[in-house]
Amino acid sequence: MTLLHVEGLTKRFGGLTAVDGVTFTVYEGVIQAVIGPNGAGKTTLFNLLTGFDRADEGSADFEGASILEMRPHRVVKQGLARTFQNTQLFDNMTALDNVLVGRYSRTKTGMVAAALRLPGVGKEERLATEYAHRLLRLVDIDDIADASAADLPHGTRRLLEIARALATEPRLLLLDEPAAGLNTAETGVLAEALYRIRDTGVSLVVVEHDMGLVMEVSDEIIVLNQGRKIAEGPPLLIQKDPRVIEAYLGETESEMMDDA
Amino acid sequence: MSGRVGTRVAVAVAVALAVVSLPLVVDDRFILKVLTLVGINVIIVIGLSLLFGYAGQISLGHAAFVGIGAYTSAILTARFGWPWLAAVAVAILLAAASGLVLAIPSLRLRGHYLAMATLGFGQIMFVLFVEFREYTGGPDGLSGIPDPSVGGFAIASAGADYTLVWIVAIAVFVLAGNMVRLRPGRALKALHGSEIGAEASGVDTVRLKLKVFTLSTALAGLAGALYAHHLGFISPSAFSLEFSIVLVAMVVVGGMGSLWGAVVGAVLLTLLPFLDAIVPGMPREVSSALQDWQAGIYGMTLILMMIFAPGGLASVARKLTRRVRQRRGEGDTTEGDTT
Repeated sequence: MTLLHVEGLTKRFGGLTAVDGVTFTVYEGVIQAVIGPNGAGKTTLFNLLTGFDRADEGSADFEGASILEMRPHRVVKQGLARTFQNTQLFDNMTALDNVLVGRYSRTKTGMVAAALRLPGVGKEERLATEYAHRLLRLVDIDDIADASAADLPHGTRRLLEIARALATEPRLLLLDEPAAGLNTAETGVLAEALYRIRDTGVSLVVVEHDMGLVMEVSDEIIVLNQGRKIAEGPPLLIQKDPRVIEAYLGETESEMMDDA
Repeated sequence: MSGRVGTRVAVAVAVALAVVSLPLVVDDRFILKVLTLVGINVIIVIGLSLLFGYAGQISLGHAAFVGIGAYTSAILTARFGWPWLAAVAVAILLAAASGLVLAIPSLRLRGHYLAMATLGFGQIMFVLFVEFREYTGGPDGLSGIPDPSVGGFAIASAGADYTLVWIVAIAVFVLAGNMVRLRPGRALKALHGSEIGAEASGVDTVRLKLKVFTLSTALAGLAGALYAHHLGFISPSAFSLEFSIVLVAMVVVGGMGSLWGAVVGAVLLTLLPFLDAIVPGMPREVSSALQDWQAGIYGMTLILMMIFAPGGLASVARKLTRRVRQRRGEGDTTEGDTT
């Protein structure tokens, strides 16, 4: 089943075309990676799809809804969530409360209802809290639920941001460099978490530089270079694709061998 | 667990009753008047704390909304003979409506623009309070504002007025306290933590900012209305930029993101110029010096807080309790706390 279909997506910043006519499809139940050298347009692609930036051309159809015109919170409500290259956690709150904010679009309690503790408010709060704890367990960090987000180590913060994104009940989750700054052990934990997330029925699109992780977890890889899609396919074929080796891996061949 | 919550509620109710029934013990009119003023400022600062302390949106013109509430209620009752409750309701609505009208264009902007817009709005309102002589009495102010009354019962004595204001203040505190612990309060804090993160979590940040700004200005309007009927006289100087800044100082001194902090900040900074009335035997010279240097003292307090306790008194209290708990932990085990 098709989840997301992107057609001819284009974004220009002045004279630079950051995303140039990109077309691709994401299917249900897959982990798909987007790779490419720095400046290839990966993060811009995510920003366009999640309402943080406006596309110049193209379309994006997510489960029958055209999402390019939507503001970020509307995209979330549609079932498309994301994380950020520089984590955007709420450092003034506990880990649990961070995840609870992720429940915002799936819960109802308004200011008046909350102030007056109207019937149903307590129950919704209890259910939301249980839901949040379940997600913290899913990414294996429930032990730090009550810690301040600001005090958490980098790897835990990345997992927490994923848990918060999952709290919005996405059908598709976009992860922007989830392994950046993680050590080998932490990357292992992350990979396990990604599998568990996929097994709950959430599809994943992962922008990542860690080739080891990309080759291990992804079912399908899209390669961007200078805003254009230059290749697409399963990891084994991508590794051998001459266009990829030339345009992307070729320039840092030795690095690629080290990573992979 | 439920027993502990029960005890807490019992203690809270006892404290609230004690605060509200203070006039049974204290009959000094001046002290009651000062403490009524404290209650009024508590209401404003809770509203400002939701906006600034929780959601991180600064307003440098909150005195103007207090003024709108005060003049609306005063003019409707004194000039047009409206009943008190109806006048207060309209005062709240008008303050909230002006808040909304100001917020719609300015909250779309980020960063310091809201500070600029509210600052400008405050100055404009100040000029309007002075220039609309026909209704506001101009710089001389507006007198003859009637006491609060409901269905023929006038709340005339200083004690009754005190009790009325503090019942409202405590109600506002409890309602705001409920709100900040649940979904809307978490979203407000999220705005402060990371606006991008809040949007990515499904929060309509524009809408939420409008809501909290309107709520905050509604509370300012409510407090203004209470103020007008409490004093029976209002003049523009009470709603100047200086008061707006004092209000911000109260939030900062108490602590961002803490309603208790807001209350403590409001109580301390409101009492400061009246120390001679509260502390018996304080020389007149000291208290008059305090009044003369009021703005300077607030300014210095703000600077010192920013340097030594940027989290406000609330964070100092949190740190102290944590330290005490750790001490106790070390006393119990030989290894001590590992964290």
